[in-house]
Amino acid sequence: MSGSMWDTLLRVDLSSRSAQAWPVPQELAACIGGMGYGVKILADEVPPRTDPLAPENKLALSVGPLTGTQAPMQPQSCIVTKSPLTGGILNCYAGGFLGAELKFAGLDGIVLEGRSPDWVLLLVEDGALSFHDASPVLGQGTARTEAYMKERFGPGARTLSIGRAGEKGVAYASIFSETRTFGRGGAGAVLGAKRVKGLAVRGSRGVGVAHPAEFARLAAENMEQLARACAEEFNLVGMFSRVGTGAGMGLVNGRGALATRNHEFGSFDRAAEIDGYAYARKFYTRAVACFGCPVHCGMLHKFRRADGSESWLRGPEYESTFALGSELLNGDPVTLAEANQLCEEYGMDTLTAGVTVAWALEMGEKGILKEPGLPLRFGERSSILGLLERIGERRGIGDLLARGPGRAAAEFGRAALGAAMQVKNSGFAAWMPRRMKGTALAFATSNRGACHKRAPIGAEITGQIDMDAYQGKAGLVKGIQDRVNAIFTLVSCRFHEFVTPPEMYPRFLEAATGRSFGLEEFERLGERIWNLEKLFNLGAGFSRADDALPARCFEPIKGPSSEAAVLEREKFEALLDEYYRLRGWDRDGVPTPGTLKALGLERYASLAGR
Amino acid sequence: MSGPAGARGGAPAGAKPGFVIDPEKCTECERCMIACSLVKTGLVRLPDSRIAIERRWPETPALQVCRFGGCPGQPCIASCPAEAIACRDGYVLIDREACTGCGACLEACPFQAIRLDEELKAFKCDFCAGEPACVPECATQALRAAGAAEEGA
Repeated sequence: MSGSMWDTLLRVDLSSRSAQAWPVPQELAACIGGMGYGVKILADEVPPRTDPLAPENKLALSVGPLTGTQAPMQPQSCIVTKSPLTGGILNCYAGGFLGAELKFAGLDGIVLEGRSPDWVLLLVEDGALSFHDASPVLGQGTARTEAYMKERFGPGARTLSIGRAGEKGVAYASIFSETRTFGRGGAGAVLGAKRVKGLAVRGSRGVGVAHPAEFARLAAENMEQLARACAEEFNLVGMFSRVGTGAGMGLVNGRGALATRNHEFGSFDRAAEIDGYAYARKFYTRAVACFGCPVHCGMLHKFRRADGSESWLRGPEYESTFALGSELLNGDPVTLAEANQLCEEYGMDTLTAGVTVAWALEMGEKGILKEPGLPLRFGERSSILGLLERIGERRGIGDLLARGPGRAAAEFGRAALGAAMQVKNSGFAAWMPRRMKGTALAFATSNRGACHKRAPIGAEITGQIDMDAYQGKAGLVKGIQDRVNAIFTLVSCRFHEFVTPPEMYPRFLEAATGRSFGLEEFERLGERIWNLEKLFNLGAGFSRADDALPARCFEPIKGPSSEAAVLEREKFEALLDEYYRLRGWDRDGVPTPGTLKALGLERYASLAGR
Repeated sequence: MSGPAGARGGAPAGAKPGFVIDPEKCTECERCMIACSLVKTGLVRLPDSRIAIERRWPETPALQVCRFGGCPGQPCIASCPAEAIACRDGYVLIDREACTGCGACLEACPFQAIRLDEELKAFKCDFCAGEPACVPECATQALRAAGAAEEGA
């Protein structure tokens, strides 16, 4: 082993029900861990045209050098697979405790391939895998499935699971892990296609680092940085620490950038009823954290459901208050919480689910879409919950909507497609490309579709930079994409980078693994991963036409606060050209031979199939 | 541990060991357990931690750690047939050599703060000789050193 890594992945062939420990080859170890491992494994082993739900697709769950250590804000684990939602390569993340437990089990990750003959629960105990009958929980929601696994495998087991949406192949089915979520891109449907209902991990091994004294010093320094950030009134991480990620909704609304009513409007008059402060006032019980995290942005809320029963919800997260709130003209915090619970129960991404529902409601109000026995109206509780349930069950209109907003809308012609707020069939995150030009570019160019994790959101929304300007945004977005890809090899929480100076990452990395990395080399790895993803997507059939935003983004925002905001098509295309140039890609978004050579990716050129 | 007692949020020098615990504030992040296992073993290995979080999700968790002076009657001491547990200057400590691994103290402890290690020897918190490593890690101050808490620190 090298420092905090075991240099071991568990390879699981579900078809033959066999597993073996796989020593990480040196070339893979150079990708650090997490996203670096997942993307390289997929690029090496899964042809880009593979059907995402076929046994030939693989799903890599991995952690990195900071997982399971005392470094703060490193609880996440990463899943990479071919996405059934986008048809491209997917990376998604969940916090909680699963990542650290994998480390304690003596593993840096698990790669699943094939398809189990019967539905199974997988148990990993200190590196050994066993298969268990999943039939007692088949058809059950994620919470019950995980409670069952803890009963069966011990309360100390850390778990992940899918709900009915994953079992039934909803294209944006997610994977839950004890109230944290591998949300985006449909990894839950991949797990379902492999007939894996859940995974439990138990570990008893100790995690060390290469240079303990230096590592402890860095962790203490980082803890102090975080403590200072948490004590600041207007620090984003501080706000998350006090009221959760929903804290920022008022700010976004005030700037006319709160996507409302399927992105037609930029502000919502009921935002103050569903933001983080509203939930804190009405439903707060306590803050709950992920492994080793002093920020504790998870807020545990207790509320009364509309039927009078008492219920708990960790969240909703900010992104969900958009997708299940303002985007649906839903200003009722209880309906929003119940919609969030339905997404948890079924195991669906709240973002793509909400955005798809928003599109369906608009089409319903226009008379283009109908569903017997269900009104389709914005802000209407029965419409929202009814549609989510139908999607989770793939029943009635839900079967169409389960394909994702782009594919569903494409059935109804150009105008309908232009109103589906998606990129590469993945629903928008909670931000308005018309108001935030850097975020517009980030949404369009994201390899996993409409992604907010690699967008200059903080800088644009707080006014550090002019959010309406195009100037300088191409370089900014490229830089964020590369840097965030790099920290997702560790695997750092996205919010960690809000507070931690960039030069700390290579120092952490060296103290953990003993391997020396410069900051430039570290971020260069992020760029290599980005290009490898891009090659995979090109091979899967993507082109410049997929780095595009829906037509609605080029129309003025309705409503009083954002009337000036518009995304101009020519300027946007020029921004995309500039971005491609900075990336060393041609006008079609294909990395040039020179770029691949400079990144050491020449042998992957054929992956793009050109 | 090096450095003056209390420098990292521990108890001031000469203070009796003990914790002030507010489980309502506990976020279940396990930083106390990480710090404890590191200081005792050099590795992050949670079963070695002398403090544990008993989850009662979604209800408030319980912290399993020795309360020292805050424990009424300190029943572990009398429960030990080998007389391996004693209290000196407020430090309730287990003599590892004398421990027979019978488990009587585990039963007696009202805070589930004592466990058996792999060699069947009882182990518990020793308050890190006055500077508990867990305390400064607790971002919400759910866990404080008693002396420091009394001073309002």
